[in-house]
Amino acid sequence: CAGEENWVDSRTIYVGHREPPPGAEAYIPQRFPDNRIVSSKYTFWNFIPKNLFEQFRRIANFYFLIIFLVQLIIDTPTSPVTSGLPLLFVITVTAIKQGYEDWLRHKADNAINQCPVHFIQHGKLVRKQSRKLRVGDIVMVTEDEKFPCDLIFLSSSRGDGTCFVTTTSLDGESSHKTYYAVQDTKAFHNEQEIDALHATIECEQPQPDLYKFVGRINVYHDRNEPIARPLGSENLLLRGATLKNTEKIFGVAIYTGMETKMALNYQSKSQKRSAVEKSMNVFLVVYLCILVSKALINTVLKYAWQSEPFRDEPWYNQKTEPEKKRNLFLQAFTDFLAFMVLFNYIIPVSMYVTVEMQKFLGSYFIAWDEEMFDEAIGEGPLVNTSDLNEELGQIEYIFTDKTGTLTENNMEFVECCIEGHVYVPHVICNGQILHDCTGIDMIDSSPGGSGKEREELFFRALCLCHTVQVKEDDSIDGLKKSQVPRKSCIYISSSPDEVALVEGIQRLGYTYLRLKDNHMEILNRENNIERFELLEIFSFDSVRRRMSVIVKSSTGDIFLFCKGADSSIFPRVKEGKIEQIRSRVQRNAVEGLRTLCVAYKKLTEKEYSNVQRLLQNAKLALQDREKKLAEVYEKIERDFILLGATAVEDRLQEKAADTIEALQKAGIKVWVLTGDKMETAAATCYACKLFRRNTQILELTTKKIEEQSLHDVLFDLNKTVIRQNGSLTRDTFSGLSTDTQDYGLIIDGASLSLIMKPRHDGSSGNYREIFLNICRNCSAVLCCRMAPLQKAQIVKLIKLSKERPITLAIGDGANDVSMILEAHVGIGIIGKEGRQAARNSDYAIPKFKHLKKMLLVHGHLYYIRISELVQYFFYKNVCFIFPQFLYQFFCGFSQQ
Amino acid sequence: SRCPDNSAFKQQRLPAWKPQLTIASVLSSFFLTGAFCLTAGVCLLLSANSVREIQVDYSDKCSDCSKLRENSSNWNKECHCSVNFTLNEDILGDVFMYYGLQNFYQNHRRYMMSRSDAQLLGRNVKIPRRYCVPFSTYSNGTPMVPCGAIANSMFNDTIDLFYNRNSSVIQVPLLKTGISWWTDKNVKFRNPNSYNLSSAFAGTARPPYWQKPVYLLDKEDERNNGFVNDDFIVWMRVSAFATFRNLYRRVRRVRHFAEGLPAGNYTFRISYNFPVTRFKGRKHVILSTVVWSGGSNPFLGIAYLVTGTAATLTGFVITGIHLKLRKKKT
Repeated sequence: CAGEENWVDSRTIYVGHREPPPGAEAYIPQRFPDNRIVSSKYTFWNFIPKNLFEQFRRIANFYFLIIFLVQLIIDTPTSPVTSGLPLLFVITVTAIKQGYEDWLRHKADNAINQCPVHFIQHGKLVRKQSRKLRVGDIVMVTEDEKFPCDLIFLSSSRGDGTCFVTTTSLDGESSHKTYYAVQDTKAFHNEQEIDALHATIECEQPQPDLYKFVGRINVYHDRNEPIARPLGSENLLLRGATLKNTEKIFGVAIYTGMETKMALNYQSKSQKRSAVEKSMNVFLVVYLCILVSKALINTVLKYAWQSEPFRDEPWYNQKTEPEKKRNLFLQAFTDFLAFMVLFNYIIPVSMYVTVEMQKFLGSYFIAWDEEMFDEAIGEGPLVNTSDLNEELGQIEYIFTDKTGTLTENNMEFVECCIEGHVYVPHVICNGQILHDCTGIDMIDSSPGGSGKEREELFFRALCLCHTVQVKEDDSIDGLKKSQVPRKSCIYISSSPDEVALVEGIQRLGYTYLRLKDNHMEILNRENNIERFELLEIFSFDSVRRRMSVIVKSSTGDIFLFCKGADSSIFPRVKEGKIEQIRSRVQRNAVEGLRTLCVAYKKLTEKEYSNVQRLLQNAKLALQDREKKLAEVYEKIERDFILLGATAVEDRLQEKAADTIEALQKAGIKVWVLTGDKMETAAATCYACKLFRRNTQILELTTKKIEEQSLHDVLFDLNKTVIRQNGSLTRDTFSGLSTDTQDYGLIIDGASLSLIMKPRHDGSSGNYREIFLNICRNCSAVLCCRMAPLQKAQIVKLIKLSKERPITLAIGDGANDVSMILEAHVGIGIIGKEGRQAARNSDYAIPKFKHLKKMLLVHGHLYYIRISELVQYFFYKNVCFIFPQFLYQFFCGFSQQ
Repeated sequence: SRCPDNSAFKQQRLPAWKPQLTIASVLSSFFLTGAFCLTAGVCLLLSANSVREIQVDYSDKCSDCSKLRENSSNWNKECHCSVNFTLNEDILGDVFMYYGLQNFYQNHRRYMMSRSDAQLLGRNVKIPRRYCVPFSTYSNGTPMVPCGAIANSMFNDTIDLFYNRNSSVIQVPLLKTGISWWTDKNVKFRNPNSYNLSSAFAGTARPPYWQKPVYLLDKEDERNNGFVNDDFIVWMRVSAFATFRNLYRRVRRVRHFAEGLPAGNYTFRISYNFPVTRFKGRKHVILSTVVWSGGSNPFLGIAYLVTGTAATLTGFVITGIHLKLRKKKT
């Protein structure tokens, strides 16, 4: 197809280093880096200069270096040894520490770079060291091995051309993910066959996004036109991931060494600095001023005092010849420097080292805390940085995620509503599949003929429309499987909602068995296995907030099942009992349940082939593939028939309410930022006591803005808040007063972006100011319908507001990473949604309730300790230097 | 397992003492400190006042001498002068004689640096020392021994004390040893090894302001000669302030002076060599006894008194504030 497209940012890879057949394209061998991973910072040769340079970039070290040099050059009261030795000590200790760390990195690098890799050369399997791997080599990976570089998946030992992979070390998700081999190559099963492959791959230049990849493979068969196939992230096996459940696979290396996505993701985070450190630097500047002024005063006084010759040079104390000849100004300058050296201890040398040690050792107390150890995961808190210990005690704003942080993210299927009839599973089973829960309690059971049909369709839809995988227990092998229809198996998915739904449906009689040869198997209520051919999956994304599958039943009907948030389904529905379901959904949302709506549509063969064509086109695009796909989805997912809705309960984390209450009592403002819809989020907020019964809720939502203009709404709210504030007397400020009205603000993503949007008429800051003012007067703020980036925006907005409050962001999922990185202190919850948040955070804790002890005990103690330490250091040095300064008045300002 | 230890240290449960600032503890600590400081101050002051001390300023007592010394070319002209004083009461116990200097900056950095400790240990006396410049060598290259500004400016007046008793004049016997620190005398100062001192110092010259070479400082006592001369050692220990006194002699308690100095008329006979008018200084001779708290300096006592008073006053102020606030509350 589009071979003429001009790609600036792409690379061409010749699989197995074979030239394309003549006439196709010119063979231009490109040069790529080898597969060496370099995470070390220094080499043996550049260690000393580079390390010294890095160390002297710190102001304190540089200052002491200057002092040392001054002491070397001019005659000063203290010998250069006194400042040289400590400096040397500090530098050496740091250098040894960094050198040791780097040596470890070198060792780790070597271990990785030298581990053996199998690859194919001239039809034979060859073992080589990993670092000798080059782009274009064909690699064989066996089960439980890690991929040595980023590979395009060519074929696997599994007949259907799939393989399973865990990416635990990449993004922390332990679930098995399925990857698909390139269609045209999946038939090659041994070395000779794979070596005969003649193909080129065109793909984008390396980029760090783990989940994005676009490329194209051109397979040459004899002399025919090459067959082009799209390559997506489902064909790309990433370095660092592990092959599971698959005997072996073949792949071709496309990104190697430092260009792999894993290596690109290892870029270090920007360093966060604590407020204490910043104020320490201010202190230092002040002290520097004191130092300079002391030295100046003394120099001036010295020359005033010496103006009389009997003082300048009495008979018992004569000057040397060179001293007599020296220029007066030069002499004064050296005197000034000598005074500087004399008083230089006012800036504490040892403080930096001591403070760093204190922080480093102190940070262990968090990890050691028994009360913050979680038995269930078997993990305690993790401290990723020790620089921010004392910040924990100064937090003014907490931004928390809802799902997985405030709530357990342990989903339970509560009920479903089909055509207005509500079904509740009899036995509430928590994450476990029980064999005896088959009963259905029909609250409102009057399904007519068509109702029955709808009901079955609904269950099938839930059974089919998901991306859940089945993990069979190891003890049960193939033999048993066929004998016991209801085997114990575990459903794995990246989304806990789906697991809850599939499990819930199982309790209602429909069991999802497995995905085999592109056919989904379902065990229905009559214990018959139904098979559906899986044609397409439109996977879930947070923009569309829905997912769809297209399946073909055994009878040949093609269905499109779609499930998603109510807001994204209702506009696309053309028939069904919308009103009844909508009211049910809203009721459930108010109770704090997560609701999903299910809809379907029947496709004719013709429609389906049309869909297929659209998809194929979009998938083949190299640029803007995401956008084009989204457009196609938009086109396809419409005119649904509404089936029903489900409700899943997400229980609150233990003691979440208690924690929030304690934090609010401590004067910390808690904001909840969530992607959920307003009703659900507000219900959670009530449940965890963020909003109380007497809290007056201010709403700033799209609905309200539609009625009034944003301008009016903002001003109205502002007036309400200010009126209340004005009636407050000063001494109720302590927060003890219970009778005063407190406010809770609810804002949604759309209105927030309106507020944040820079305006053309120059009054851009205006809305923000009003918004901030409203927020400042609210005890709790709930932001719902937030995109991950908006979360970070909010944090930034507060962080940069006038008072410069210290902010903390806490979350557990990948969507919280941006706000965790943005806030002063980022805390990750070691939770279910993977470890991405925990890895990017400064501290990671197992449960939300641990935040209470973390902030109110540890943070408080750290803050007190560090401030006492720093203040003591400065006090000590003033005490040390001030007598020295006064003594100059008694010894003729001679720097003694 | 990975569960952390339940130890007192790791769980931060080590016993700690965090005093609560209650009115009782604060007030009692203030009053206790105040009382302690006041008593200590009173004791110190009393003991300092019990010291008997005579101080005589003789810088201008013999005006011709001070004139004579203003010109350094008259260095070898002798000048004697005597100062009379009367003791109204006996001074009992050990009596020490000091000389005191005012406005003499022994603590000036350039001055303090100008010495060679290696030389004073008797090592390589003939080598010129860098630190001693400009009192290191003469222009012809002969090294000065001892070198440096400190040694060069050594106090060189000789003071004798006479007791005028019924028109007969008795010289008060004075001891010139045992006035320096033990470590100085035995560790920090050593004569160079040689069979006699003059040969040890051969090839060197006396400092310019000295009247006699170092090996003639005390001709009678070998153990008090050269670098280990007590007067020299006392001078070499520089003082911290521009006004200071150094121990010069001890009164030997024999015959009339077995109990100390009896009341009566005395005369200091001074050989006036040390010029002070050129740097607007003064010099004194002082007779004093010592007590457990040292000499007659009342500073420590006053400091304790001031601190004690301040603490007590603060205590009263706090009590006042506390009483006032308590009334308001009830």
